[in-house]
Amino acid sequence: MIDNMDRNAYSTPDLSVEIGRIKLPNPVITCSGTFSHGEEHQPFFDISVLGAITTKSYSLKPKRGNPAPRICETPSGVLNSIGLQNDGIDKFLKSHLAWMQERDIRIILSIFGQDLEEFKKVALKVLDIKSEILALELNLSCPNIEQGGKAFCSMPEEVEKVVDGVVSLLDIPVIAKLSPNHDNIVQAVQSAKRGGAEAVSLVNTVVGMAVDIETARPMLGNITGGLSGPAIKPIALAKVYALSRENVLPIIGMGGVFNHIDVLEFMMVGASAVGIGTVNLIDHDAGIKIISGLKNYLKEKNIDSIKSFTGRLKI
Amino acid sequence: MKILKGEILSNESYGPDIYKMEVFSPYIVKNTGAGQFVNIKCTPEGVRDPLLRRPFSIFDIEERFNVFSILYFVKGRGTQYMSKLNKGDMLDFSGPLGKPVDLAVSGNNLLLIGGGMGVVPLNLLSKLGLDAGKNVLIMAGFRDSSLLRWERDLVRMGVKYRIFSEDGIWGEQGLVTDHLFDEYKVFADHDVFCCGPAPMLEVLQKRLTGENIDATVFLEEKMACGMGACHGCVIKVKTASGDFDYKRICKNGPAFKLSEVIFDDR
Repeated sequence: MIDNMDRNAYSTPDLSVEIGRIKLPNPVITCSGTFSHGEEHQPFFDISVLGAITTKSYSLKPKRGNPAPRICETPSGVLNSIGLQNDGIDKFLKSHLAWMQERDIRIILSIFGQDLEEFKKVALKVLDIKSEILALELNLSCPNIEQGGKAFCSMPEEVEKVVDGVVSLLDIPVIAKLSPNHDNIVQAVQSAKRGGAEAVSLVNTVVGMAVDIETARPMLGNITGGLSGPAIKPIALAKVYALSRENVLPIIGMGGVFNHIDVLEFMMVGASAVGIGTVNLIDHDAGIKIISGLKNYLKEKNIDSIKSFTGRLKI
Repeated sequence: MKILKGEILSNESYGPDIYKMEVFSPYIVKNTGAGQFVNIKCTPEGVRDPLLRRPFSIFDIEERFNVFSILYFVKGRGTQYMSKLNKGDMLDFSGPLGKPVDLAVSGNNLLLIGGGMGVVPLNLLSKLGLDAGKNVLIMAGFRDSSLLRWERDLVRMGVKYRIFSEDGIWGEQGLVTDHLFDEYKVFADHDVFCCGPAPMLEVLQKRLTGENIDATVFLEEKMACGMGACHGCVIKVKTASGDFDYKRICKNGPAFKLSEVIFDDR
């Protein structure tokens, strides 16, 4: 009897979502760079309950990142300039991947490159293990060395080249992760679609800075950084809303999500699934709390499936 | 490493703008080693500003009472919030974080060199060192006498110590870094630990390296997660190839070899 009740508690209401071909048991996905590959958060809850974990973003070679200080708190937000420090894709393939597989984690592997060639080289390394991951997320907010350091996603034609370059090598779902810092998001997403992307992640951090007036120096070693946290949620919601009206690709919405209400807001404006980022740094068990919050909310409202929230906004 | 809630047993002034907070937590008391820290939430439940937890070295643990304590200087919004918490309030914190110092592999003589609030982790190290039967000497320097009350804790602990202040208002006059080798003969086979402001650590690094002495340094930096996931709190550390890497203070540290640290980032 108790077993049955437990099973019911886990099966209804239905939290499963689909982002194109990507099927998840719930819409809660960790954002790249806030959850590493799960190892640090694992003591706090069973991380396999998450819809998926998006790994830290990996490049071809290890990258040591930006000078300190890398973190500065701002009102309801955090500025960071980590500089994509990572162990390199080989280290992920040799050790982190096995660690995640042992724990039955649904993996979205995030990668980046400084040019199209590097993206392709990293993608080729993934070829042999592509069946082990749900999707590849391309971090298109990083600087494109061939274009004078401008972010890939600021140039829609570059987005198409990179997505197409990776998709043609790997027949698995590819997610384009975009920044809110450029005006041409819709064009960038249309380009991503032409390149063969399955979905889009929106938004990466908002460019920002902070100043210490006593020393007259920037608070971050890198001068500027990316703002995340509740401070950017209204910006992120507006970007997801604007994009969803164009109906180009399924959207993973993110930016300042701290609880289940935030998740439902993002779904209502058009997201199929939702990323949780900064909250992982503060409430290390936020993932499971948000999933429980969603389940309880749907039960309370007698709603069978969370999918019905996507695009439910009334205007 | 857990997220915990613990009852605040006291939260009292320890000096000008300095507070000592005692928290009931059998888990922290049982599992904490020298150099470790807790990451404290500085808002009531559900409030998102200030957003990040604040890291604090553990100052002392009292096994008999399952109590640990921290010392903190009231500086910004987080510590202002903390200073207003009362006895009986519940504190939300994660810990113990960072790698503990393994006293089993250190020598029998410990020299602990501290500056300002940097004495906080050294206080716990001293206590655990004495408990392990080691000889401990603390040499600590201060700008003023704000932490005068700490001397009473040192006397109670029964540790040997020398205090220096810049104007001589407390202890001996001078800088602790100018008196490093006063005690050298006594500590010919010593393990040196230090913690303090970066300019002091740089002087220490030069003077100790000049004498072929290495030390363990406890570092601090603004942190976000406090457990290694975000790569936010880093320090430049020399690599074997002569280059450098950024190491996470929260996860790879906070204890590092002083000779390997590069202090040229701010």
